Amino acid sequence: MTHDMLRDAEALLYREASLLDHGDYDAWLDLFTPDVVFWMPAWRNEVEQTQDPDRELSLIYYQGHSNLEDRIRRIRSGLSVASKVPLRVVHAVSNVMVTAQTSDGASVSSCFTVHLVDVRAGRTHVFFGRYEHELVKTEKGWRIARKVVRLLNDVVPTLLDVYSI
Amino acid sequence: MSAYRISDLIDDRPENGVFRINRALFSDPDLFELELSHIFEGGWVFVGMACQAENPHDFFTGFIGRVPILISRSGEGTLGGFINACPHKGARIAQQLSGNARLHVCPYHSWTFDSAGANRNIKWKNGGCYAAGFDRDNHDLARIPRFGEYRGFLFASLNNDVPSLEDHLGEARKLIDLVVDQSTEGSELVPGAVRFTYAANWKMQLENCSDQYHFTSTHPSYLRILNARAQEQKDEVVQSTLGGSDFWKEDAEGPTGGTYSFANGHVLNWGLMAVTPALPLFERADAIAERVGTARRNWMFNMRNLTIFPNLQIAENASSQLRVIRPVAHNLTEMQTWCIAPRGESAEARRMRIRQYEDFFNPTGMATPDDTVVYEECQAGMARQERPWLQGHARGLAASVEGGNAYSDSIGLFPQRSVLGQAQTCDESLFHSYYRAWVGRMRGALA
Repeated sequence: MTHDMLRDAEALLYREASLLDHGDYDAWLDLFTPDVVFWMPAWRNEVEQTQDPDRELSLIYYQGHSNLEDRIRRIRSGLSVASKVPLRVVHAVSNVMVTAQTSDGASVSSCFTVHLVDVRAGRTHVFFGRYEHELVKTEKGWRIARKVVRLLNDVVPTLLDVYSI
Repeated sequence: MSAYRISDLIDDRPENGVFRINRALFSDPDLFELELSHIFEGGWVFVGMACQAENPHDFFTGFIGRVPILISRSGEGTLGGFINACPHKGARIAQQLSGNARLHVCPYHSWTFDSAGANRNIKWKNGGCYAAGFDRDNHDLARIPRFGEYRGFLFASLNNDVPSLEDHLGEARKLIDLVVDQSTEGSELVPGAVRFTYAANWKMQLENCSDQYHFTSTHPSYLRILNARAQEQKDEVVQSTLGGSDFWKEDAEGPTGGTYSFANGHVLNWGLMAVTPALPLFERADAIAERVGTARRNWMFNMRNLTIFPNLQIAENASSQLRVIRPVAHNLTEMQTWCIAPRGESAEARRMRIRQYEDFFNPTGMATPDDTVVYEECQAGMARQERPWLQGHARGLAASVEGGNAYSDSIGLFPQRSVLGQAQTCDESLFHSYYRAWVGRMRGALA
């Protein structure tokens, strides 16, 4: 049972990574539930991250699918100079573990590295950290109800968008 | 002495209606070194907030130019500004960004200092066979020559020969008051600092904060989302403070805002905004008016981008941000940013402020990356050219008048110059104040 869940979780995480790598944002958006929480906390100091998004700052905090749709709308708008020349990105997801499981849900932790080439600026960078996914089983298969991105190298060189993490 | 004369770099001829800046100010590495010495290490700079070291023995660290500093609150509760370097061999005695320590022990040879900077121990002093000259030296942490606080905002100068902090800030103090007086308890920084870099000169950020001209052309992707959100009114997305205001729209009628410039390089760019629930401050609108008067309350709701030259910016527009500019190289700048907020606001107001902040101000949001990418595009064009003079400091000059106007009079604010703007004025002449302060600090280094 746990073994199957691990395979399902890996398949979903790898699929998510691949969709971001290829800029297939419609399919990426389709992976999330309507009431998804998408959260990248900031750092309070060298060792602690912010914990309460209503009282502390996050790098990104969204509750609700339409917020993610707005992000994609901006990237595709043709009106954002930061989004004009797409960055080339590769997501590598590893160390996938199922940390909790019920009949129709699972908590999954993993590590990520995202290598980027900012072609416009002639610059490469690597963002890395950990993911925490809450998955729920729906009629369409597994979907992401909550995604936490714990970015370790949080001094952002010029920009970081949803495809960078 | 640099090869440049000031007149090669800044063409300031008000009598001819000319103000031009040479691209070299953004692209010359030698000039950048002079700026570090004379602007950042040669005069008053912002170093942090008193609330970052609230309790006895709290401290935080940072830099003034290239010099590491330690701001520490003593056991008696007095804030002090020190050079964060051991007098012995120079090691930074505090390595953390912030913390609480009665004693700071140097990691190299354990020289020890208390939270008031006094040397409390030199390891094996008695057995050290020191000659008499050593005992005549002061072994305490070096104090930053000038250090002062204005209503929780801390400033310091490595150069002792500067005017008082009160004189340095001048009239701009009244604009800091508009931030602090939003609560009877003053301002605080929301936990969670955000840092980012961009590969361009620090003055790109200095100017952009007070550049109304770029808003509709750099951020149309964001503005389009604001409009859609205002129409859809979904609960799950945050509404913008800017949605209900016209000051930035090209077809707005009548005065929409303007600029004020002050002595020593401080400037304000502002836009008229109504007292509406789109701002988290709205819950206290009546109480604030009662406490500080309607005119000052109304000003607290206006869009206000304040720069305290050379490195502090407080932007109250889409939310409320405190920014510190840290120049790293002529073409690299680090920004340290916080959400600044009135203490004691309701949980709902705070949540709204934070959401509005993240969307607009974060380098991971939907507006700032378009700014920082544009800075880098500008930096590319700052390379030496046949036409060295930029044309970006000219708008508004014909509308610039000495002194203030009815809006500044209403709160007893007396700027050196002002421009009252229509929707498409988008004054650039307020930047002149930056560069005149720049000249003031660089005068000794340039002919």
